[in-house]
Amino acid sequence: MTQFSLDEWFVVLLARTIRPAETVFHGFGSPCAQVAMHVARRTHARDMTLIEGAMYAVNPDPPFIPPTSNDASLKRGAPYSMRFEEFFDAAIRGDVDRMFLSGGQIDGHGNTNVTGMGPSDTGFKVKLGGGGGGCNLAATIRHLSLWSSRHRSGRALVEACDFITDMGHRNPAGDRVDLGYTGGGPQWMVTELGVFSFPGGQARLDFRFPDVSVEEIRAVTGFELRVAGDLRTVVPPSSAELSALRAVDSLGIRRGEFAAAELDRVFDHDPAMGCAC
Amino acid sequence: MPLHPPGDKLVDLPTAVARISDGALLALGGGLSARLPMALVRELVRQGRRDLHLIGSAHSIDVDLLVAASAVRRCEESYVGFEQDLGLAPAYRRAAEAGTIEVAESCCVTVLAQLRATEMGLPFLPVRGVKGSDLRRLHPEYAEVTCPFTGEVLVAVPAVRPDAALIHAPIGDRYGNLHLDQPYVLDERFAPASRQVIATVERVVSTGEVTGAGVTIPAHYVAAVAEAPFGAHPTSCYPDYAYDRPHLAEYVEAAQAGGEELASYLKTYVYGVDEPGYRELLGPDRLAALHSWSRSTEDWKGLFG
Repeated sequence: MTQFSLDEWFVVLLARTIRPAETVFHGFGSPCAQVAMHVARRTHARDMTLIEGAMYAVNPDPPFIPPTSNDASLKRGAPYSMRFEEFFDAAIRGDVDRMFLSGGQIDGHGNTNVTGMGPSDTGFKVKLGGGGGGCNLAATIRHLSLWSSRHRSGRALVEACDFITDMGHRNPAGDRVDLGYTGGGPQWMVTELGVFSFPGGQARLDFRFPDVSVEEIRAVTGFELRVAGDLRTVVPPSSAELSALRAVDSLGIRRGEFAAAELDRVFDHDPAMGCAC
Repeated sequence: MPLHPPGDKLVDLPTAVARISDGALLALGGGLSARLPMALVRELVRQGRRDLHLIGSAHSIDVDLLVAASAVRRCEESYVGFEQDLGLAPAYRRAAEAGTIEVAESCCVTVLAQLRATEMGLPFLPVRGVKGSDLRRLHPEYAEVTCPFTGEVLVAVPAVRPDAALIHAPIGDRYGNLHLDQPYVLDERFAPASRQVIATVERVVSTGEVTGAGVTIPAHYVAAVAEAPFGAHPTSCYPDYAYDRPHLAEYVEAAQAGGEELASYLKTYVYGVDEPGYRELLGPDRLAALHSWSRSTEDWKGLFG
């Protein structure tokens, strides 16, 4: 295990947004987040409650992660699967600590668009799939971990979303306090270029990958880039994290989220460096 | 609306589908790649149903195929697509962008609240979210309600009563008792909230076998049941079969191309065959392979690699 790839590092960073003992959920069609939850549960967050996406299975041990979110492999080993309404009720009453969310567009307040690009009143220019349960879940789940694997395209992190499917910290309708939202909103945003936090409800670059510069990141970020005074490079994955990831995602489904050029980014692993366990 | 009285509800697939009229509000059972009512969907297309209004949570080839066959007027799902794996839903996307279908995209929680209102005999229920989401603009029927106890202002969503819920189950009896494997998705809520359940099953079995496995949808919600082996194909119906990823990819490719390629898919797999013909076309070897998931983890993985 002398090298690792960008997709592996990215998933490990997503996994680290999970704190021990949290109850965590991912939406469907979210391979990176899905793999990240299993990595966390096998490394630093063994006591988390993992609710598996579209299966609503509680703490399963899937033999592999399939390319669809509601295959029966994803409930293997789970002593219990929630009913659909059982999960959504838990989330709405505030019993779920964290959810992973992405979007075709994400703005600097963490609002996300998974509905469509272009003006919605005349029919979208590009109709995206839709938001599942996000527009209610984002209101009440305690923390949101956002991700984008397409930051470099220049189209993903935008000044303003064409359509807001899921509420971030603030948008034209008001902020979370105005709207009576009990969840805390986006806490982290991981992209293939760096990691953002949301002090004051606004995205700030806290970490960058070692092979990209702040200038490169600024050039592809649609909102004004705030940078932490103590900007650091992201902490490399530990051997434990990499082996957990490779065991759980043996089909490599996480790789489907990235442009081909990103998958060529390979890094050397220094066994003496950065164990997060 | 009375419950459906006991009786022998076993009919053939065309007879079951004939209960659905043009313009009906339909709840499609299952979700994403699991247990979509595909035999019922294909038969709706064969019978030339038009102007359907679809409601549901996260769906894929069921909605896309109906849109591709020009059977749909309005869509109210929370998601239509093929996840990260096979991407956007081609026919749905094209129709939404061209404005040939109305897209009133919804949210799983909102749809759930609307069904529960019907179940409880209430005209509406409040939801905590939706405020701050542009989804509200797609639903002028939503309103606001002030809680009489706390003064909190919440979004109120109207009750929804589908004309029919289309549900595919691994087993059921001739009276309409159905057993499902999880995920049930919204099927347990669709059944009491809809005027009737139209069901297909992999196998019609004795009542004893269904009650032994556990009744998920009881007969008193069900108006008709038809036997349709591989009735969820190309989506999964565990424990019988995993989803047929190569076939889904074949559909997505044809639907992306549109025109003649899409017409050819529809002619080959829908218009040109009945359900026994569809199974024959796929071939016994291919269908048997979809059951190989149960042999070993390697076989299971092999279906998706």
